[in-house]
This record gives sequence, C-alpha cells and structure tokens, in this order.
Amino acid sequence: MSAEVLVFDILAVIAVIAGTGVVLARNPVHSAISLVVTFVNLAGIYVLLHAEFLAVVQIIVYTGAILVLVLFVIMLVDQDDLPEFHKGKPLQRVFALLLGVMLLGEFAAAVLTRTVVGQPGPWTEENVTLAGGNVQVLGQFMYSGYVLPIQAIAVVLLVGTIAALALARPEDMSRRPRARQTGTISLGHPRGMDGTPLPLPPGVAAARQSPQGEMRDGIMIVNDAESYTDTAAFEYEYATLGPQPGDRKRNITGSEGDE
Amino acid sequence: MVDQPLWITYIVGFIVLNLLLVGMAYMTWAERKVIALMQDRIGPNRTGPFGLLQPIADGIKLLGKEDLIPKFADKRVFVIAPLISFVTAPLAALVIPFGDSITINGQEINLYVTDMSVAVLYMLAVGSVGVYGIILGGYASANRYSLLGALRAAAQVISYEIALGLSIVGVFILAGSLSLVDIVNAQRTSLDLFGSGITIPNWFIFSQPLGFIIFLIAAVAETNRAPFDLPEAETELISGFHTEYSGFRFSFYFLAEYISMIVISLLAATLFLGGFDGPVADGPWWLLLKASIFLFFYIWLRATLPRFRYDQLMGIAWKVLLPLCLVNILLTGLIRLASNNQL
Repeated sequence: MSAEVLVFDILAVIAVIAGTGVVLARNPVHSAISLVVTFVNLAGIYVLLHAEFLAVVQIIVYTGAILVLVLFVIMLVDQDDLPEFHKGKPLQRVFALLLGVMLLGEFAAAVLTRTVVGQPGPWTEENVTLAGGNVQVLGQFMYSGYVLPIQAIAVVLLVGTIAALALARPEDMSRRPRARQTGTISLGHPRGMDGTPLPLPPGVAAARQSPQGEMRDGIMIVNDAESYTDTAAFEYEYATLGPQPGDRKRNITGSEGDE
Repeated sequence: MVDQPLWITYIVGFIVLNLLLVGMAYMTWAERKVIALMQDRIGPNRTGPFGLLQPIADGIKLLGKEDLIPKFADKRVFVIAPLISFVTAPLAALVIPFGDSITINGQEINLYVTDMSVAVLYMLAVGSVGVYGIILGGYASANRYSLLGALRAAAQVISYEIALGLSIVGVFILAGSLSLVDIVNAQRTSLDLFGSGITIPNWFIFSQPLGFIIFLIAAVAETNRAPFDLPEAETELISGFHTEYSGFRFSFYFLAEYISMIVISLLAATLFLGGFDGPVADGPWWLLLKASIFLFFYIWLRATLPRFRYDQLMGIAWKVLLPLCLVNILLTGLIRLASNNQL
C-alpha cells in the first residue's frame, strides 16, 4: 500500500464518519462542525488528485464563507425555533428512504459503469504541465471559452442575493404571527424593529420625535447610524420629559458599579 | 526547485514551526517593550537581562493556571475550539519561501516546505478555517459577551477576507502565478525607472502601491488586531470570544493571534517587498528584517490608534476597500494588456 493510498483511506474514513455526524448530531452546531470536517477532508482528497485549486476553492468558498454564515444563523436563532431534525412524519420518512435508495443506486451505477463511459480527454497530465500547470489551464478555459456561462452564474448569484434581501426586509417581519416576534433591533435602520409599537399618549409621542429619530419603548430608533451617538436615547428622553413613572433606575451621569 | 526526499521536507517544516513559536514568544516581549517605550514606561525588566526571559515566565504561569470550563458550556466544542485556532495559524507559513536552496553534504535543500501552485489561495483558505476557532469558542462558552465577540469576528473576517484576497490579485496579474516562489522570482529582477538608467528592484510595492495599502489594512483586520480588534473589545465585551477561557486554553488563542501576525507579515514581505530578495546577499535574513518592519508597524498601530466603531469597520471594508480593490484590478489588468500589446 503506497503512502498515497494510506492518506486517501484516512481522509475518506474521516470524511464518511463526519458525514454521518452531520445527519446524526442532535445539536445543529455539531452538525455544522461535522460538515466542516467533511469539507476539509474532501479538500485533502482533491489535493491527492492533483486538483489543488479545487481543494483550496472548496475550503475558501464552502468552509470559509458559506458554512460560517450557516453557523452564524444557527447561533443567532433560538434552538426551539428550528425545525425538528429527527421527528419526521411517517410519509416524510418513507419518501426520504426512497430518495436515498435512488441516490445510492445512481452512485452505484455510476461507479460500476465508469470503465464504459470514462474516456480520457485531451488534457492529460503531460499536456497540462506543458501549458503551465493546472491553475493556468483552468484560468484559460474559464475566462476564454466559458466567459458567458461564468457571467451568467454571477448574475444568478446576484439575483439570489437580491431575492434574499427582498425576503428579509424588516417590514415583512411585522406581518408575521405574533408568536414569532422577537425583539430584533437594528440601530441603523429606522424600521428595523419587529412589530408595531404601542400607541403613545399624544403629548409623549410628539415629545419623543427628535431630529435623530424616534423614541419607542425606551429605545431610540434612529434615522442613521451616525446620528445615534450624538445623543444617547435615555439622555434625550430625560432632557425633554424628565423622569418617567415606571422607568427602570437610570444613572445618567456615570456608570453603575465598578468598571 | 529541486527534488528532495520527504523526510528533509519534514525537517524543514519542523524547523519553521519551531521558529514561529519562538518568534511568537519574543513578539509578545517586543510588543510589551515597544508599547512601554511609546508610553514612556520601562516594560518588562525583571526576568533576565532586558526582561528577555519574560515569555518563558508567562508560559509557565499560564500552564499553572486553573483550567475552567463553564457549567453550561458545550464542553467538546469548548475544548476543540482553541485548538482549531492554534493548529491553523502556523500552517499558512509552510508555503513561504525563506531563501534559495542550500546545499548540505551534497544534498540540495529547498528553504521552503512546499511550493504549491496555489500557495497564496492556500494561505487564505487556512486563514478562513482559523476563524472557526473564534466562532466556536464564542458559541461554546455559553456567554453572551463571547457570542457577540464571535459574531463580530465572523462578520469581520468574512468581510476583510474579500478585501485581502482581491488586493493581491494585482500581484497575481503581474507575476502570472499563484505560487509564492514564482512571485518572489518575478520580483528579483530590477526595474529601469522610465528608461532613465536608475534601477529599482521590481518589488510589487512599487507597481502595486494601492494593493499594498489595502492588503496592509485588511491584514490588520484579518488578524483581529488594534484598531480592528472589535471581537475582543474589552470595554464593551469584557474580552469577547475568550472571556470564559483560562490557563493554557486561553494561551492557545493568544499564540494563534501572534503566530498569524507573524505569518501575515511574512506574506506581506513576500508579496510586496520581494521576500528574501535584498540589495546584497539574498537570504532569509532579508525576509525576517522585512517581516519585523511589519510587526513593528502592528505594534505601532496598537499604541497609536483608538478602536474603530463596528459600523465604521464594516463601512471601510465594503464601501472603501472593496471598490478600491476592483479599481486596482481593472487598472492592473489594462496595464498588463497594454504591455502585452493586446489592447
């Protein structure tokens, strides 16, 4: 057994174990970590296949960017709000099993027939070395023959980004059912707060309008981030209205406790 | 590049990793000393001459500290997270060329561990894995300050990684390669200044000044150093992602931060200042000298600038650095095409 085969075996076994970990872990963060391990090991296998560029891009894009964002979301969302991972309905389970078996069958067919379809292309190892290496050949291909498809992919990604922005607009959050509302506050966005604010007595409402923004439930909803630091919200309220009944104890001149 | 047996590569790698650890230890000493001088203090002076044994004393002290794990922490993740940071930080140094090959006992030895065709991208990739140490450490601590620090770190590193990656595209265009050995070799020629007979070294800092400045700013943010050390802003977040860490687990984060500073300084010196290329006697000493200039710059920044506000930090990355990067790439590409007479 050559060293390469040994390394491949180690990488493959770890990748498979981590892959099962993705599905079996109870905690979604643990699932995400397992996925990271799988991706890194797959990148190692790509390196063994002399596809260094693919390996590095796999780590930068999937491990470094996409999964970090996934973790981000998982950590921010309350665990109770996440869908149940291991309690599918019976019909779901049947379909999942069926699709899984079909996928496995496809893979098996692909592996078994690979000698039939696998004809080597013009880019043998010698030709790639002559042309200056893997990265150079890949670059030549992607930015000469395949410029249009790559531009199209870029546009598709842009559309996806804009769609995500449109879906996550703060205005839409207020239309969700009451039970789903959480206290998301965006200091930079005037409409960043969930839900409709409670109606205020007319005098108070007028007094709580300031050039910087608007006062709601003790929080300053500012027009933009720059103006926020000019006046602290409680200072503004205190200056215009004086102490309010039911206010929590506030210390305007200094901080509480030791520093 | 010469072929050499695998075991020699391992030995070179071993030496590089150990030099990084020693460098890291004395980086902490240098930082304390330099900042002390800048603030008109004396700095460490009790342990050994000039306090030179201070890093060793610090290490022993950290080993002797109690190892705390919070009750509600995600224990496995809590234990693994600092190791991720610590393991990935020095990995990036393995592609940096420290000099020409040397000959010992008739065996030619490359002064780098490996010459990947995608060396620079590899360094970026390793850096992007390293951020998991911070994110998972903050998450596993079950502490809100830690989680906030981790979230900040994630957002900051993703944003600045884009600027960091795009700022060196100009270098790739000029060198025509992603391999650091090729990039250094491209800089070892000399450049005739407008045909005037005055020659300067073809270091990419002269042909890519904008890219160099962007790289420098993004590198400071990428290593979470002042003035971009928002993830561990002690005034608002106590200590950010490592609030709950103590003893040697804490020191893993500490080691990782300093090692990534050294590695990114080595990378900056290699990409923009010609690496081990010098006026006389090319060799590792030039690379180390150039890297120490960057390390001094890091310390200088920390002693000089106050911390940025978080929205300013994000604004700089997306509204200033990113457009400048794109302009730089466009200009460099046009110049390259013009010099190839393809325009």
